[in-house]
Amino acid sequence: MRRVLTYFSLAMVVLIVAVAPAAAQDTTFRWGAFGNPVQLDPALVTDGISLNVTNQGCEALASFVGSTTEVEPWLAESWTVTEDGLTWTFKLREGITFHDGTPFNAEAVKWNFDRWRLTDHPQHLDEEGQVYEYYEAQFGGFDENSIITDVQATGEYEVVITLSQPIGAFLNNLAMSNFQIASPTAVEAAGAAYGTPEVGYVCTGPFKFVEWVPDVQVVMERYEGYWTEIPGNITRIEYKSIPDSAARFAALQAGEIDGFEQPNVEDIPTIESSDNLYIVYRPSFNTFYLAFNYRIQEFRDPLVRQAISLAINREAIVGAFYNEAAVPANTMNPPTIAIGFNPDVKTPYDPEKAKELLAQAGFPDGLSEVHVLGLDENGNVTDEVVETIPVRLYYMPVVRPYNPDGEGIANAMAADLAAVGINAEATSAGDWSTYLSERSNGNLLGLYQLGWTGDNGDPDNFIGYFFHDVDKPLAREGFYQNAEVAALLQQARALTDPATRDALYKEAEAIHAAGADRVYIAHGPVPLAFSKRVSGWVPSPFGKELYKYVTLG
Amino acid sequence: MSKYIIRRALESIPVIIGVSILVFLLLRLIPGDPAVAILGERATPENVAAIRERLGLNKPLPEQYVIWIGNLLQGDLGNTVRGNIPIANELRSRFPATIELSLVAITLASVIGVPMGIISAVRRNSVVDTTTMFGALLGVSVPIFVLGLLLIYLFGVQLKLLPFIGRIDSSIELETRTGLFVVDSILTGNWEALQNTISHLILPAVTLFTVPLAIIARITRSSMLEVLNQDYIRTARAKGLGERPVIFSHALRNALLPIITIIGLQLGTLLSGAVLTETIYSWPGIGKWLFDSIIARDYPIVQSVTLVVSLIYVIINYVVDILYALVDPRIRVA
Repeated sequence: MRRVLTYFSLAMVVLIVAVAPAAAQDTTFRWGAFGNPVQLDPALVTDGISLNVTNQGCEALASFVGSTTEVEPWLAESWTVTEDGLTWTFKLREGITFHDGTPFNAEAVKWNFDRWRLTDHPQHLDEEGQVYEYYEAQFGGFDENSIITDVQATGEYEVVITLSQPIGAFLNNLAMSNFQIASPTAVEAAGAAYGTPEVGYVCTGPFKFVEWVPDVQVVMERYEGYWTEIPGNITRIEYKSIPDSAARFAALQAGEIDGFEQPNVEDIPTIESSDNLYIVYRPSFNTFYLAFNYRIQEFRDPLVRQAISLAINREAIVGAFYNEAAVPANTMNPPTIAIGFNPDVKTPYDPEKAKELLAQAGFPDGLSEVHVLGLDENGNVTDEVVETIPVRLYYMPVVRPYNPDGEGIANAMAADLAAVGINAEATSAGDWSTYLSERSNGNLLGLYQLGWTGDNGDPDNFIGYFFHDVDKPLAREGFYQNAEVAALLQQARALTDPATRDALYKEAEAIHAAGADRVYIAHGPVPLAFSKRVSGWVPSPFGKELYKYVTLG
Repeated sequence: MSKYIIRRALESIPVIIGVSILVFLLLRLIPGDPAVAILGERATPENVAAIRERLGLNKPLPEQYVIWIGNLLQGDLGNTVRGNIPIANELRSRFPATIELSLVAITLASVIGVPMGIISAVRRNSVVDTTTMFGALLGVSVPIFVLGLLLIYLFGVQLKLLPFIGRIDSSIELETRTGLFVVDSILTGNWEALQNTISHLILPAVTLFTVPLAIIARITRSSMLEVLNQDYIRTARAKGLGERPVIFSHALRNALLPIITIIGLQLGTLLSGAVLTETIYSWPGIGKWLFDSIIARDYPIVQSVTLVVSLIYVIINYVVDILYALVDPRIRVA
């Protein structure tokens, strides 16, 4: 036995000494992602990891400016729109080629739009399981449901897009990663395999796809034929999948990666005090909220809702659970949004006032049980009490930038509520998929946590996304109904003048807040950790950071 | 013997069919579905219904099952729900990673655990026995993620001696033939890759082998103790046989059955994917993949991978049974 152990130890030592990790090339940027991409065809995916990869190599007609939510022309050089907001003419940049040598022109742009919107397009392939979720969400659907009704190549570098109704967020939509233009030749050649590990993406951007080994890494290399200057010096990107957050941090410390997203809050001080590492915050473009299920009879009373809003100490929650750059929220739209943020809405912390309001509402001794109202066959809430249940506060089972610790925050909220006499139980509703399913069916009977991260910088994708159709009670929104809010949001959605839209969104926020229709808690910026050899990082509110700006020392 | 082998093989078929039905139904019993998981915070009843339809999830369950099995029999494992990527391709790259790590871990655990158990049994209640069994208890008690992160910080971050991300450095080119990188490196004579692959294997294998090592050592010890107390051992000693033949020829062979069983079971468990170890070491195996797929309700992946894993489990049990028969001829007759 002793001999076996001796040999084993000797073998370990020999191996350990023989195999020190090799240093990588200087201009290779290694990013530690928390998972594997789903697919590399941006038209088909919604997850941040996949889009983070395609953003390095694919480009859309428009783009967001630096760290803002403003839109600038990109593959299109300029655009004009008719007064009715229905006909958009795009002048495209000339002299651009896709990574496979296919020329970028009006035909290629038309081909991409047709592929997304027409189910009989040979490469739409929905029968084979391709899901164009964002096209459907942003443009109303496919074929006759699509708000984009026609796309024509009117010149080699001119495209005319016709809409059935004006869309206030049209340019923001076009700047989204999901509408990046792919090489028609490459998609036709690959068919349903386009975007899979065997094929990857073929676009016009600064880095072309080289290789994707599932759960290991995606490799990209600088595209020498790129149409404009690349500000940074990266020649190769290794986008590594490192699912464990402690392992990502260790990898950064060991020099195996150059950066990663969302270090644990408790690791941030170590990073900030390190000689070799530093933190950058992505401006927060998200909102964490506590929603009421309006099938609870007591929650239909604005006094009770206001009492709950006043009872929750947002400052304390943000201080205890979030990173230092987070801020308490008063509204659905975050302060970083280009239009539609209403700074006049304030939601103070005032437990004494909360107790007063509860007493006024008829609950001087507080609230421990609530009554569930029935539903009629049309999904409307009736007056009939069908069940009496404890006050439940459902918490999210996953970590999100807007919610770093669902259960911890739920317990803190429950303690705040208990201080004014509301005995709420922090409650689990199962795993994430179950939670979402229960939420969208209106089954989270109580208070429940959820949040949102904006996709395109427009308020129509923020407050508008949730409440434009609450002129009827929606199970998805906890049977919330506010026709006034819905009308304002629908009006704003179909206008193109930013100033008019801004005023409408602010008004909608004010009405929504007056009844404490929902309780907004926090906006949480995402921290990013880097090695000091990385400079030039431009943080993006959507996480759409481009490595072309990065210089490696 | 051949009759026994055939009979055991036939008995495996209903097990596989049973597993396929069970997995198919269980997946659909848990709340939430792929459409909800794809949509995330965007899940509205209308969006969910539209995607369910496109994915064929609104068809009756028996029809869905028949479609799946029909494709399976034609060798088509289907495509992932998220990303629409052929599962067979994904499995081909991930499964060898799990097999390689599992085999290394189980080999280490057996090579060290069995002698540990024998020595403990022979020198019962000695310092060696107490120390070994305490070590074994520690092995099963220390959580994998604690051990894994400790090893990473010690050997990866502080000493910078061993890599802890993935299977091989991306700067090293290795022509893959079997997918088992150690084997591929040897087959292609790529010694740099061999060295690199082994260095990547050390920390995850050490993390992974602690539990099987402890279990194998304890089972070996108790099995040996039981045999050593038998009359025939006393007889052997009374005949004047030396300690070595008594222990190895008489005791060990009779003590082997439970040891083989436990090694087989442990290997089966490792092959079904060591989720924690794979996660901590960014090991691109099937454990983490399966786990993520359950969370994402990616039915086709979960169904196909579970089926493949249970097939492997059945094969291992089959091999263990045959080994039984080889070790103990009485079993063939029974």
